[in-house]
Amino acid sequence: MRKIYSNKRVILTLILPGLLTFLLAILAPICLSIYYSFTDFSGMGEAVFNGLDNYKAMFQDTGFWVSLRNSLLLAIGFICIQHPLALITAAILDKMQNKAEGFFRCVYFIPNVISVAVIAYLWKFIYNPNFGLLNNILKLFGFEGNVNWLGSGSAIWSVLVVLIWHGFGWGMLIYYTGIKNIDPVLYEAAAIDGATGKEAFMKITLPLMKPVIQVNVTMAVISALKQMETVYLLTNGGPGDQTQFMANYLYKQAFNSFKYGYGNTISVAFIVICLLATVLLNRIFKEKDA
Amino acid sequence: MKKKIISLLLAAAMVCTMAACGNSSGQENASSNAKAEESGSSDAADAVEPADAPALGSQEGAAASAEPVAIKVFSNLTDRKSGQGFVEQTLFDQYMAENPNVTIEVEALDDEAYKTKFKAYASGSSMPDLVNVWGQPSFLDEVIAEGLLAELNQDDYAEYGFLSGSLDGFSKEGKLYGLPRNTDVMAFYYNKAIFEEHGWKVPQTYAQLNQLAKDITAEGMIPCSMDGADKWPISIYYQDIVTKILGDSQQDVRNSVSTGDFSNAAYKQAAELMQESVEAGLFQNGFETSDYGTAQNLFTNGQAAMFYMGSWEMSMANNEEISPEVRDNIGIFMMPVVEGGTAQVTDIAAWNGGGYAVTQNSAVRDEAVKLLNYMFLPENWSKIAWENGVCMSAQNYADFLTGEETSVQLAFTDIISSAASITGVTFNDLGDSEFKTNSEDLSAELAIGMVSPEEFIAQLEAAAK
Repeated sequence: MRKIYSNKRVILTLILPGLLTFLLAILAPICLSIYYSFTDFSGMGEAVFNGLDNYKAMFQDTGFWVSLRNSLLLAIGFICIQHPLALITAAILDKMQNKAEGFFRCVYFIPNVISVAVIAYLWKFIYNPNFGLLNNILKLFGFEGNVNWLGSGSAIWSVLVVLIWHGFGWGMLIYYTGIKNIDPVLYEAAAIDGATGKEAFMKITLPLMKPVIQVNVTMAVISALKQMETVYLLTNGGPGDQTQFMANYLYKQAFNSFKYGYGNTISVAFIVICLLATVLLNRIFKEKDA
Repeated sequence: MKKKIISLLLAAAMVCTMAACGNSSGQENASSNAKAEESGSSDAADAVEPADAPALGSQEGAAASAEPVAIKVFSNLTDRKSGQGFVEQTLFDQYMAENPNVTIEVEALDDEAYKTKFKAYASGSSMPDLVNVWGQPSFLDEVIAEGLLAELNQDDYAEYGFLSGSLDGFSKEGKLYGLPRNTDVMAFYYNKAIFEEHGWKVPQTYAQLNQLAKDITAEGMIPCSMDGADKWPISIYYQDIVTKILGDSQQDVRNSVSTGDFSNAAYKQAAELMQESVEAGLFQNGFETSDYGTAQNLFTNGQAAMFYMGSWEMSMANNEEISPEVRDNIGIFMMPVVEGGTAQVTDIAAWNGGGYAVTQNSAVRDEAVKLLNYMFLPENWSKIAWENGVCMSAQNYADFLTGEETSVQLAFTDIISSAASITGVTFNDLGDSEFKTNSEDLSAELAIGMVSPEEFIAQLEAAAK
């Protein structure tokens, strides 16, 4: 057996599927993307090299900056609102220890099971100013109930609420699994020493959950940056560019305006920003480890 | 150095894999979308083929009549059971029945996905044989420039009764590349019963329209339902006002788009009028995010008194799914004239949009042309479309009047036959695809007051240049 595994050809055949998938489905498109980002390719005909023109245009493009700002806003929303809530909910769920635990775990996770398209339309109807649920509830409480939730000004917050709500169950489930992996003996010992629930959470749960939090937060930031389908279906970036997110803006440039070259420029910036975010987050967590 | 490269690769791999699993749900969609965007390819557009598409015969090529021929059709009509898709499918079935050696394979996608995949086909070598095209510079110019479409023989269509000017959008430098499916007219659909009940009158001037909007809002109803999410209806609405100021302005608008000069006072006036109407509450609250279906439902449910949309919706009048109170009471009127303008109400927003073309490099090009010519024999497309109340063809369909038309069909026929001038392709479709995106975005922003009329004109000029 050892002989087989030390045979380099065997090793090669074993890693080949993964390697090929990576090379063909990820690395090659990225390289192509970088190539096209220096051209004025429109999707048809010749791709003419135009140097740094696309990059210059991108830095002056307000749409790009707005979409980047919104993406970062969403990342902050995930880190500051969604994840603390998810973690606390997970800790509370863990303490329930009866049928309610399974029930609530299931309920919180349901949004993740439903297709994004359904979620987007569900919220579109909830937000609808003419017959939407939200305005009708407002009317019940005596308000006028004609708020244009997805209109100018309020749209970005309405969209953020949906995105934070939608990703909540997923984050919670990972935290929940993490908490389940903590040895209950620790809590028992803490209880004997007279620790309150809050103290146990702060001094046992949180420190032991650090690796889980690290993975979860990194994933949240990247998912915020690449947010596309919910926004596309909910507002498609409107009104104006107020709810434009990076991936959606990229799509719009490449597939609506048919500026493939420019779309690829944005996607290269996109890759760089994702890489930077990952490196930065890893560094932040590493410093805390030390 | 080597190590650095390897670690960079690993880091890249990590981001990508994380990106793939970082999304909370619908992962499959998400990752395939992301890849499509990164590579600039378009597998995101891969979508369903209609279930009733006939099976593909495996042979291709030789065009001798007895030999089996397979024609691939790429269509933007996804609904094969009603509307234009039904007409198209009926003709294909008919053609296959008459020519047993021919099989027609249909691939259908909705407009946006269609355009994306069309580009993907265009950059490869496997373009379907008969394709849907739009007779608008924003779509067709580039396609013709790439030499993708086969030139059609204009003499073939001498007896087809195409209305004068209807082939213009499909021609370039005197050569014909496609045939239009229908004549589209933009109008206000209104609910006659509701109008009568409240004593509202069809507006004769634009000021009356604004007043009407206020009256209807005061009664707690939605005056006019608007599909603002798609943005092109707003652009056409704007163009419609321009036309109701200037009258016959087809050439002027074309010049403005090609030179980027929108200094004519009518453009600004139209922009101001549109904002006035929105302030008067003409469109439903949140119209800018209402999609086509939602906007239409407001009208067909009786919540909105009017609905601004094209003549292709005339089949609402015989759609069994719409309640009879609405279905039997649908009337239409055209955008009213603006006081002080030189236009008449018979200067209308109308054009020939969708149509078909044959691919230049098709292996069965002659067969595809035969099929196309068959489809547009007057007794085929024109007749079937009219008899089913689907749309008005771009051909003279006077011979096919049955006497059983809905009042909406007759009204549109009247409007077309008495038109003093038509806009042709509207301004948003006169430039390239980037101008289309920008000008439609701008129209929507103008409508919700995010830009002032002055800013609108300035940015429109910048977009056209």
